[in-house]
Amino acid sequence: MSRVVDRGGRWIGWAYFADLGKALALTLSYMFSRSVTMQYPDKEKWLPYPRYRGHHFLKRDDEGEIKCVACELCARICPCYCIEVVPYEDEKGNRRPAKFEIDMSRCLFCGLCEDACPADAIALGQQYEFSSFSSRDLVVGRDDLLAKPGKAATGGAVVAAQLRTVEQDVRVEASEHQGYNWWRNIRRR
Amino acid sequence: MDLFLALGLIALKVAFLIAALLLLPLPLTWLERKIAGHMQQRMGPMRVGWHGLLQPLADGVKLLAKEDHIPTDADRLLFKLAPILALAPPFVVFVAIPFGESVSVLGTEITLYASNMNVALLFILAVIGIEVYGVIFGGWAANSKYAVLGSLRTCAQMISYEIPMGFAVIGVVMLAQSMSLLDIVRAQADVWNIVYQPIGFFVFFVAGLAEAQRIPFDLAEAEGDLGAGFHTEYSGIRFAFFMVSEYAIMLLISVLSVVLFFGGWNGVLIPLPPLLWFLIKVAFFVYLFIWLRFTLPRYRYDQLMAIGWKVLLPLSLANIIVTGVAFI
Repeated sequence: MSRVVDRGGRWIGWAYFADLGKALALTLSYMFSRSVTMQYPDKEKWLPYPRYRGHHFLKRDDEGEIKCVACELCARICPCYCIEVVPYEDEKGNRRPAKFEIDMSRCLFCGLCEDACPADAIALGQQYEFSSFSSRDLVVGRDDLLAKPGKAATGGAVVAAQLRTVEQDVRVEASEHQGYNWWRNIRRR
Repeated sequence: MDLFLALGLIALKVAFLIAALLLLPLPLTWLERKIAGHMQQRMGPMRVGWHGLLQPLADGVKLLAKEDHIPTDADRLLFKLAPILALAPPFVVFVAIPFGESVSVLGTEITLYASNMNVALLFILAVIGIEVYGVIFGGWAANSKYAVLGSLRTCAQMISYEIPMGFAVIGVVMLAQSMSLLDIVRAQADVWNIVYQPIGFFVFFVAGLAEAQRIPFDLAEAEGDLGAGFHTEYSGIRFAFFMVSEYAIMLLISVLSVVLFFGGWNGVLIPLPPLLWFLIKVAFFVYLFIWLRFTLPRYRYDQLMAIGWKVLLPLSLANIIVTGVAFI
């Protein structure tokens, strides 16, 4: 009996386009759900996780001295040969880099330099906005690398941000460090 | 003097209609992109103006500034003629459509229609049939495989869906005993035609979707398999002409659905100004068009033909017979 009713029900549903109605209801419910768009340059910005591999940075030790010993292991292990290191001996007799250049246009952000470094001097940080109009600007020297932001402390959140355009320099400035979880708006079943 | 006044009024109405039809695609494209965005949990245009309201203007300026490219091997005359042929019929058709009874402004009665033809329905179906020429010429003249395929599909689609569409409105004509749209709306003052003609409306609406080349029947442009269909080779303002024509037809089908089946400017329950009722109903149908577009996938070509000839045509014929029998 129930099978007959089922079949009858299905037939009625077919005749009245039950599936079409369901589909329309679904799209309508999506229409009034929150959108997942991250309004990146205009209003919001994503903060990277601590393990994110962004722009390189060089570390200093406790005395404020550069940690790098210019062993050139990073330059050796680099799969795209984008690191160039020239060592020199400073007044204390330590081996330090006179020149430490990374060609960001060639770097593939594998992080092998970070793994290879015996002095824990180089790492890939949180900065991911460094596009440029000239590939020459993408060759970053030692002092610039020292000034780059380090690893992210928190991360994976979206915070309010603002787009700043100041002559050639386009930046997205985030004001706070605690944002909302971007995944909260994504509907999952 | 009276003649001049009448002529001036007609000129004014026509100018108003043309302006409205040329400007309406702007908010409609914005609406379509917004609704599309929100149905896909995106936001749609956000950057130009408040919530992207000026986006259509920016797009229009972009289209005007673009290179007007004509392929070397194209048939230049037909290529230039096609967008105009596609654009003109939807504009002409609106002359025959009433938007309400007359209103009195400054002591003179102004009717809310450009002309009250006694064969308005026939006129509309005939003129809108011309639009297919624009599509065929456009596809043929471009001398491109995609465009020809697109226009071939459109040709077959338009012709096979015009028949059920024409049959579907016969039921309405029988009920109103007139082909004048004004009389049809007046006949619906008490009960809307949708009550007597649900099948007729269904056939009319589905055929209208196909006529407007909207999803699920947008095989003419099928982005996935034909590039952009018949207007693959068009760029700049000529492409914009095709887009405007598409939106005008979408509006036309919405307006016709309201006039023929949903009582035109006759309201129910809530007493609102007749014109407002009319606009609300049309807006609903326009939304329905967009809503359907982002709900349904596209039909396969043989399915399209099967629906047209094997489902809609028998349904519309049966509708005529049932209506006729009920009359006797």
